[in-house]
Amino acid sequence: MKGGKGWIPLAAIALSIGILPWLRELTGFPASYLVLLSAVLFWTAQATSWNILSGYSGYFSFGQGAFYGVGVYALAVLVGRHGQSWWLGLLLGGVAGLVLALVIGTIAFRLRSLRGEIFALLTLAIPFILSAIARVTDSIDGGQGIILPVPEYPDFFGPFQQFIFWLSGAVAVLALVIAYGMVETRYGWALFAIHDDEAVAEGLGVPTFRHKMIAIAANGLIAGLSGAVSALQVGFISPEGTFNLRVPLFVIVMSVLGGRLFWAGPAVGALYVVTLQNRLAGGFEGWSLIILGAVLVLLVLFAPEGIMARFVRRPWTIVAVAAGVLAALALYGEWGDPVSWFALALGSAAVVALLPAGTIAGRRTASPSSRLGSALADPGEPETSSPGIGKTLVEAGEVTRRFGGIHALRGVSMRLSEGELVGLVGPNGSGKTTLVNLLSGALRPTSGSITVDGVDIVDMAPHQIVHQGIARTYQIPRPFNSLTVKDNVVVAIMFGREPRGLAASRQAAAEYLALVGLSDLGDVRPGGINLHERQLLEMARAMATRPRILLLDEALAGLNPVEIDNAVAVVRRIHRSGVSIVLVEHLLRVVNQLATRIVVLDQGRLLAEGDPATVMQNPAVVSAYLGSEAHARRD
Amino acid sequence: MNVLQAGLAGALGGSLFALMALGLSLTWGFLKVINLAHFGLILLGSYLTFELATSTPLGPLNTLLVTIPVLCVLGAAIHLAYERFEVSELSSLLVSYGLLIILVQVVHNIWSADFRRMDASVNPYATRSISLGDLSFPLPTLLAAGFGLVLVVLVGTIINRTYAGRALRAFGQDREIASAFGIDHRLIGVVLAGVAGATAAIAGMLFALRGTITPDAAFEWVGLVFAIVILGGIGNVAGTFYAGLLVGAVSGVVASFWTPSHSPLVVFSMVVLALVFRPEGLFPRRAGRH
Repeated sequence: MKGGKGWIPLAAIALSIGILPWLRELTGFPASYLVLLSAVLFWTAQATSWNILSGYSGYFSFGQGAFYGVGVYALAVLVGRHGQSWWLGLLLGGVAGLVLALVIGTIAFRLRSLRGEIFALLTLAIPFILSAIARVTDSIDGGQGIILPVPEYPDFFGPFQQFIFWLSGAVAVLALVIAYGMVETRYGWALFAIHDDEAVAEGLGVPTFRHKMIAIAANGLIAGLSGAVSALQVGFISPEGTFNLRVPLFVIVMSVLGGRLFWAGPAVGALYVVTLQNRLAGGFEGWSLIILGAVLVLLVLFAPEGIMARFVRRPWTIVAVAAGVLAALALYGEWGDPVSWFALALGSAAVVALLPAGTIAGRRTASPSSRLGSALADPGEPETSSPGIGKTLVEAGEVTRRFGGIHALRGVSMRLSEGELVGLVGPNGSGKTTLVNLLSGALRPTSGSITVDGVDIVDMAPHQIVHQGIARTYQIPRPFNSLTVKDNVVVAIMFGREPRGLAASRQAAAEYLALVGLSDLGDVRPGGINLHERQLLEMARAMATRPRILLLDEALAGLNPVEIDNAVAVVRRIHRSGVSIVLVEHLLRVVNQLATRIVVLDQGRLLAEGDPATVMQNPAVVSAYLGSEAHARRD
Repeated sequence: MNVLQAGLAGALGGSLFALMALGLSLTWGFLKVINLAHFGLILLGSYLTFELATSTPLGPLNTLLVTIPVLCVLGAAIHLAYERFEVSELSSLLVSYGLLIILVQVVHNIWSADFRRMDASVNPYATRSISLGDLSFPLPTLLAAGFGLVLVVLVGTIINRTYAGRALRAFGQDREIASAFGIDHRLIGVVLAGVAGATAAIAGMLFALRGTITPDAAFEWVGLVFAIVILGGIGNVAGTFYAGLLVGAVSGVVASFWTPSHSPLVVFSMVVLALVFRPEGLFPRRAGRH
């Protein structure tokens, strides 16, 4: 997923595509190799473009055939029906794919209740509609198909197959450059975050809608361009041959095979599938698809992360094995032809890659107690130390929120000033989390107003509210599970209130990990850390957006006493750094220790507020919140 | 009258696709598996019907005695494999797509890509139709509607009225909680997948009854059947049947007004609109009776 040196293979691929036809003149290898390579390049472009949307962001699309198909038909109509030049056809092919993508994206990604399956099915339906439109519209197809003349192109390009090879190569390189460029910039990282947890991504400042649109636009543009090139090559276009299930299903197989989270994954998958098909075509036709199907089943079950994921663990061994097999076969020279040697080399590389690579590295290293110790080592923190109270930051006026007939909040007004740490308490169901959700923009109030530093945030999307300076944590931690602990923080820095580029964010991440005492666990994935550490990660991630106000939703739930003391120290450190905090918490000991003021909710209403000592002795609070005095004494 | 004829005939034809959709909808809704291999099972059902009816004196309808047990076991076995490898909803799509490719290719290797059709002496149903005044309906589609109705009532009753059905619904909503309350999810899943396999056998038989079959038919069903599953509401038995009738009727009427090529345009536009405005399906289940 993360390379850094990806431009080297990328430049090598581009260079090889550029010089290969001349190499052919020198060595005289058969033109059929060029056909085979053109197929690899075509599928590389298709699969890579699909993967930018579906692999990176996780929105699984069956609509690849639609983008491909409009590209095919844009060129076919322009060149075949109207006699325009091929390059105009290519251009229109790309534009058609792009426009279709933007239309689908605008409708689909605006849906409130869009889930992955709904998107998949929506995109499944599109090719059928387009196919029917093509069939019944005489000015497009009308059902009799379109025959394309061999295009007139400059002699410089040589034979037609060479021309197609270069065009396919150009589109494939464009696809790979975009796919790689995204991985190395915020665009790809936004999609990875969306893939793991879209609501959390939005809550950390990622403009999710915009990034999903960028992804689907890239998908449509490249697929349309590539479709137009293939139309030139094929020469006869029909709705049945264009809008079938071949393209969408092949790109899925290739991407899964190669690895959906890697920019080069789909290209690797394309190389394997095309080579396999080519080798199986002679005499094994009945088996070709059976083997392909079996490969797909076995891969999803046993190596769902694909070949690339295994490859990056020991690249040199795998390259050496493949090169060795290739060299041995070439030197022996008695068996098969060069394509067979290559296929066998690919096969042996896959076998080596898929062999179990021992246990996965990246577990915890430091012992938890040593880290807790260092976090607790802050000596002499005075219980009451707190920055001075400044101007009002957040003001909620008469906020009401209904869920159907249930009033979660009824006309609650509260304010938060600079330097405050407000403890928000109340029995279960009193509306605490609803209030946090309203302040962070996850929910909108049914009525009432919320302003941050005088700016009305009621109609803002959550990521805009982050940019106003509000960050939150979740009661049950929701880390991005496919990213490391450090990269979780990196995403938040990249899209926070003071956004930075990938390299700068990577450098800055250490500061936030140190703030919560997770410095030793930066390279571990969230699956390898415990609940306490995940809650600390939540805080680090929220702080990385550079908030002025931090909403901590039961950040201490489920912790043991030592962990609680550690978390309290972290919260205090955050508070002293000048961030105002709203702390939702059940543990009154903690609230009393930390809060400069307490707000008590009961049944959606504001029951009391004031300084901790006074509020906690208020008889109404004691009876509503604690039920009886006995409970109070126990705490 | 033409439009009425087209609509009614279309609706009856749609009931066949509703039958195909029923198994898919059940396993998707209750077991959280999007089983594309279901299309392969239906295809296998068609070819087994063809083979048995042609080479034995059973007759096409009686082939169900063989095909139902066979596909029931096959469906259950595939589900056990999903269960064994803890396949997620999305992975199930990929795995079952691989299985579908394999099944279609196996059928292709055994029976070739040629069109196959039961001889008129074997299959007297294909050419017969029943007239009702000016209206006339082909017998295979009437049979499809009949089987569809019986199955929908049967499966619907089981799911809504019996303990097993209630357990199934609980399981469909939250499998962990349901398991914690002592629901044996293994048994329920296997039985349901078996039932889905049985519906594939029936749908396959009815498809073979209509006329020609080819291996590629399995891929041609995918779009229309998914359309019906979505319009009907995933896991909604009665809704699936209504959606099948609706899609069939709309296709028929559109085809009679314009051309058959226009039908997919209208049907899939309906699907897009349904997904945008009513993602829970056109026929929401009534709340209550738990």
